[in-house]
Amino acid sequence: MNNVILIVDDMEINRAILAEGFKNEFEILEAENGLQAIELLDTHPDIAAVLLDLIMPEMDGMGVLQKMNDNGKILHIPVFIITAESSEKMLMDAYELGAVDVINKPFMMNFLRCRIGNIIELYRHRNDLEEIVNEQVERLNKVNLSMVETLATLIEFRDCESGEHVKRICGLTEILMTAVSEMYPEYHLPRSEIEKIVTASILHDVGKIAIPDGILNKPGRLTKDEFEVMKQHTTRGCDILEQIPSVMDDDIYRYSYDICRHHHERWDGRGYPDGLVGDEISIWAQVVAAADVYDALVSPRVYKAAFDFDTAVKMINNGECGTFNPKVLNAFNASAEKIKREVIITEND
Amino acid sequence: MDLITELETLGVNTKEALARFMNNSALYVRMLGKFPAAVKDADVLTHFQEKDYAAAVSTAHTLKGVTGNLSLTPLFTAYTDIVALLRADEPDKAEAVLKDILPVQEKIIACIEKNS
Repeated sequence: MNNVILIVDDMEINRAILAEGFKNEFEILEAENGLQAIELLDTHPDIAAVLLDLIMPEMDGMGVLQKMNDNGKILHIPVFIITAESSEKMLMDAYELGAVDVINKPFMMNFLRCRIGNIIELYRHRNDLEEIVNEQVERLNKVNLSMVETLATLIEFRDCESGEHVKRICGLTEILMTAVSEMYPEYHLPRSEIEKIVTASILHDVGKIAIPDGILNKPGRLTKDEFEVMKQHTTRGCDILEQIPSVMDDDIYRYSYDICRHHHERWDGRGYPDGLVGDEISIWAQVVAAADVYDALVSPRVYKAAFDFDTAVKMINNGECGTFNPKVLNAFNASAEKIKREVIITEND
Repeated sequence: MDLITELETLGVNTKEALARFMNNSALYVRMLGKFPAAVKDADVLTHFQEKDYAAAVSTAHTLKGVTGNLSLTPLFTAYTDIVALLRADEPDKAEAVLKDILPVQEKIIACIEKNS
């Protein structure tokens, strides 16, 4: 529990009076000016409140408030202005910078202790609640992710693939998405978004659950009609996702839906189901498409042996598996060694 | 006569001050002992003589806070007026208030120094 009060005043007499008032319940830290206060705030994470004078040498009280706004500490630590100041404007400025209360010198110690004690208690409750909420959100996210992974694993068992396929698609999506984002500013995405896309890629083939076994696991080449049914795994995946939107965070749902529907689209418009062309296809769907193709090439299937790494890279570059965005191809080639090193096909695959 | 009783005769509200110091009279006396040095560091009169009114208002403001917390009531009232007059752009009136209060301040300081 935060149990330190920081007293900031250039006059020792004022600091001593305040320290006397709080020393039985709190540990006391003292600063003679704003700069010292900022240093103490940076090195003591257990400060429960700041009692701040306004007019001081080096850095004044407003400077301290400004700094606490800049580093976000004002949100978690209540600041009380203890001042002989009566200028309305200055006091309003202090409130606007996040001070919780202004207490005029000379103050009555009993009232001061009550006012400060009450607010510290409120902030403790608020900070505790915030921590509890954050823990619960984190737990919920973990539960959601494991539900998503469970769903994907179920499909893979039907598809006679091991759970490793999904792990590899995640690994490939992460590597390719990072490379594209770093190499091309127009596709730049913050790390947090790339992480959501990686999670969303897990469900790219969820629609395969709606494809009959005879087609899904047919050892030979599919007939034209069978292939038409197989293609429906993209739209059927979206139908399934529409039934479970609440399982996922809104952004992950949005990415999943898009990836599910469009991971078989091709840059030249010859993919399915919508025949999108070029950048009509989102960059994340393009990336998962490339990841999916690479993984299919280097994995053994009932109807084919696995291609080795160099052959797979060559086939993708030659356009033997459909046309890709040249920028995605560049990112793929730039990351090829990393992919070879990190995304390993195990003997069970 | 002890320090606290003697200060009362000079208009100091010691009862209020002791409440502020959580009835710790030893601490109150110790903090009173720091007042003479604090005043020497905060020489408002020199600022007036140099017509440095920004420094005068800042120093008078500091003394307002300290004298208020020590309940040196006549001094607190005077420094409150001096700050207000300087901010109202009335330096002559502010200086007059200061000159009136300095003898009282000297008596209080002498009393503190005699008893410490």
